[in-house]
Amino acid sequence: MSIGVRFDGVTVSLGGRRVLDAASFTVPPGLRTALVGPNGGGKTTLVRMLLEVLAPEAGGVAFVDGAGREVARPRIGYLSQRSTLSARAPVTGLDLVGLSLDPRPGFGGRSAAERDAREALERAGLAPELWDRPVGKLSAGQRQRVLLARALAGRPPLLVLDEPDTALDAEGLRTLRRVMAEELEAGTTILFVSHDTDSMGGADVVFRVDGGVTEEPAESGP
Amino acid sequence: MTEFLAFPFFHRALAAGTVAAVLCGALSFFVVLRRLAFAGSGVAHAAFGGVALATLFGLPPGLGALVAGLLVAGAAARASDASGISEDAAIGVATVAAMAAGVVALGFVRTNVDLFGLMFGNILTVAPVDLALLVAAAVPVLAALALFFRPLLLASVDEDGARTAGVNVGAMRLLVLVLISVTVVVALKVVGILLVSALLVLPGATARTLFNRWPGLLFGSIAAALAMVLGGLLLSVVLDIAPGAAIILLGVALFSAASIGSRRRD
Repeated sequence: MSIGVRFDGVTVSLGGRRVLDAASFTVPPGLRTALVGPNGGGKTTLVRMLLEVLAPEAGGVAFVDGAGREVARPRIGYLSQRSTLSARAPVTGLDLVGLSLDPRPGFGGRSAAERDAREALERAGLAPELWDRPVGKLSAGQRQRVLLARALAGRPPLLVLDEPDTALDAEGLRTLRRVMAEELEAGTTILFVSHDTDSMGGADVVFRVDGGVTEEPAESGP
Repeated sequence: MTEFLAFPFFHRALAAGTVAAVLCGALSFFVVLRRLAFAGSGVAHAAFGGVALATLFGLPPGLGALVAGLLVAGAAARASDASGISEDAAIGVATVAAMAAGVVALGFVRTNVDLFGLMFGNILTVAPVDLALLVAAAVPVLAALALFFRPLLLASVDEDGARTAGVNVGAMRLLVLVLISVTVVVALKVVGILLVSALLVLPGATARTLFNRWPGLLFGSIAAALAMVLGGLLLSVVLDIAPGAAIILLGVALFSAASIGSRRRD
């Protein structure tokens, strides 16, 4: 089932400045939706609300199915513009993706999470000999692939990518575009923030975010 | 020296030291990972004020220490969630407030409070009841660490990533601080305020210089704590010096050697 996201009258102020004012729009299920607009216009704020990192002053965010009915919050694959992952974190790529897939308390093996983590690292294009290397010993580009693998792991129905074209190197971006095509084929909803939708292979729906949200004509890429 | 090893009080000291080392070594992993060295020290010092206030009001000293420690833990956790006050500032304020209140309270206390013992502890005077209390607290603290290890580790290395994965990051921060508070209180009688602070920082810091993956860091931290406590105890007997000071100095020596060794290796 493809999942959409409905932002309804969302209002947010940060540091005394109103960033979003009663923004209402719907991210359609199963398509590529781009959020574009100037820096400080509220694109990342919308993403942070979607991830429940930030609560709106007014309005809300709901997840909907293809018929517009509200559904429970799905698992969300997220690739951030700037990661809070500590460069000296004593975890490998395999550890990090596995922990993120299954962070529940408890004892015992997590073979399913480890299997899915391996699959995600492979899809993200990280060489297998690097899977067990601590993230601090990886290059910046390799670390970005670990974070991309984390977003893809477990095949979440909703992928949120915050300026992936600035976070990934050229090779990583090619991998991302390939993976995005596979995900769309599988019915995954993709929401991305970008200054350049072309570099992401285009978008089916484009919203300009600048205090409010307005829909723009979309230009699908190759 | 060998006849010393046969005395029951020395056996209790070894047992208490082992339990305190495993407990503090495991927690030290998270203290170092989450940069909570100041919080650990703050909780330990606040416990001093709690003991003094509890003594003044005729309450069990351990209860006072626990309440003071939890207050500092709560202040630290809340400060991180609220805007405007940083975690270290909140801990600093709560710690000095508790210590100052303790000094004032001591002025009114008619009974004799062993301040030296409170600051430095004396592991050689551990009574059977102290040892039982330490074990009784160690079991749930270690069980909580094991049970919540996955969300704790993820939240410690990547807060936003953990939040996105559905981990309650604030609850994990509070959990670590509460576990530190409980550990400090039960270990206080055994090892004293200064030593418990050192045991929460030095093992993890030593292991951090030697290992760059979490299993090595975790078990290296516990091993470093055990080496500190058991080696320090034996040194104190051999050199006839205070056990608390011997344990800390051995810990500092281990940390220094590990740091130098790690720099040479790089």
